[in-house]
Amino acid sequence: MNEERYILFDQYLQGELTVDEKNNFEKQLNEDAEFASAFESFKEMHFQLENKFGQEAEREIFAENLTRISDKYFNNKKTKVVSLKPWYFAVAASIAIMFGLFFFDYNHYPNFEDYNHPESAYFTERGVSEETLKKAEDNFNGKRYEKAIPLFESILKENNSPEIRYFYGISLLQVGKYVKAEDIFKELETGNSAYKEKAKWNLALSKLKQGKYAECKEILQTISQDYEDYDEVERLLEELE
Amino acid sequence: MSQNKIHPDQKYIDGLAANDSVVIEMIYKKFAPKAVLFITNNSGDKDQAQDVIQEVLILLFNQAKAKTLQLTCPFDAYFFLLCKRRWLNELKKSSNKGVTIYENVVSINESAHELIAQAEEFDEKQKLFDTMFLKLGEKCQEVLKLSFTLKSMEEVAQKLNVTYGYVRKKKSLCVGQLTEWIQEAKNFNSLKNN
Repeated sequence: MNEERYILFDQYLQGELTVDEKNNFEKQLNEDAEFASAFESFKEMHFQLENKFGQEAEREIFAENLTRISDKYFNNKKTKVVSLKPWYFAVAASIAIMFGLFFFDYNHYPNFEDYNHPESAYFTERGVSEETLKKAEDNFNGKRYEKAIPLFESILKENNSPEIRYFYGISLLQVGKYVKAEDIFKELETGNSAYKEKAKWNLALSKLKQGKYAECKEILQTISQDYEDYDEVERLLEELE
Repeated sequence: MSQNKIHPDQKYIDGLAANDSVVIEMIYKKFAPKAVLFITNNSGDKDQAQDVIQEVLILLFNQAKAKTLQLTCPFDAYFFLLCKRRWLNELKKSSNKGVTIYENVVSINESAHELIAQAEEFDEKQKLFDTMFLKLGEKCQEVLKLSFTLKSMEEVAQKLNVTYGYVRKKKSLCVGQLTEWIQEAKNFNSLKNN
């Protein structure tokens, strides 16, 4: 093993060489293909080590979170298919009773915030100022709805697409401009865009936020079972019972 | 880097890299069912499907963290193909008998295949790296781990109770050793494959 070479490689990567040494080193890289390729491999190994150990902690946190979500997902699926064993009911019932004792009457009505998870916007529209679009997207995703609203309004003058209208509507809902928001959702709901069902869901959320539970329920019942977040719909309907 | 335009589904990759639970849950909800169905239709069970999906998502996380993943095709196709190929490899490993595969024809997407090849190469590389790293002496492993976790080599020296000069030299040589072994393994593999 060419020890000196590796020590030199490392010194170069750490920026520890003098100007002269550095120039020499780079000259050799240019002239000596074998030297250059050995350095490339060394550098790549360095990167791989950095990637492996520098992010070990993050990787562990990710793996834990992933396992949790995965277990939740697969168990959910199982309980849907496999019929519950009787003792399961007993356990579930006693847990329910315990919870009931703790929380009885505290949470009579479902809470808007529990269901309020606006998806992130990723605009790819063309024909409008990309800068405004990007700003609107950033403000929306950063939950700065007050700032996003005027931007959406100016975009809509040029491009009245369902996507922009949908995110504009959500922003209005977030800041409590219900009438305007609901107008937009109702419009989208009658259209035939990809936002049809999503619009209904947001219309229901708007009612929920205003405490109009009966209206909320009525709207929920019109949402198609094919809606991608239909389990949220079911959950809210159950809570409204 | 490929000239292809990055697909809007890159948001799933970014979400994985950021460990964003909402995105991860969405991936399960939207994309897992297809993979599960494929695996359970091809002599696997739910638990095996769960493992395959989890392994693929960890691979994507690692790739995203190494900033080597730019999605140029829909996530759906990419994710499904990765799961499928991983499962077929499992099957191949566990039985030497021919395996009949039941599947619907999936649309073949050029850039998806290119990305799959990249992902598998990335995976191979990582596995090779892990194997070779474990071949290093204990001291080497320790020095490298600390060198790339702690902020400075001074800290590493302090922690190991040795001189700065020693850890610097040791680190360079250990990285060098690892580089050589991996190079040899690669050369061997390319001989084998040719």
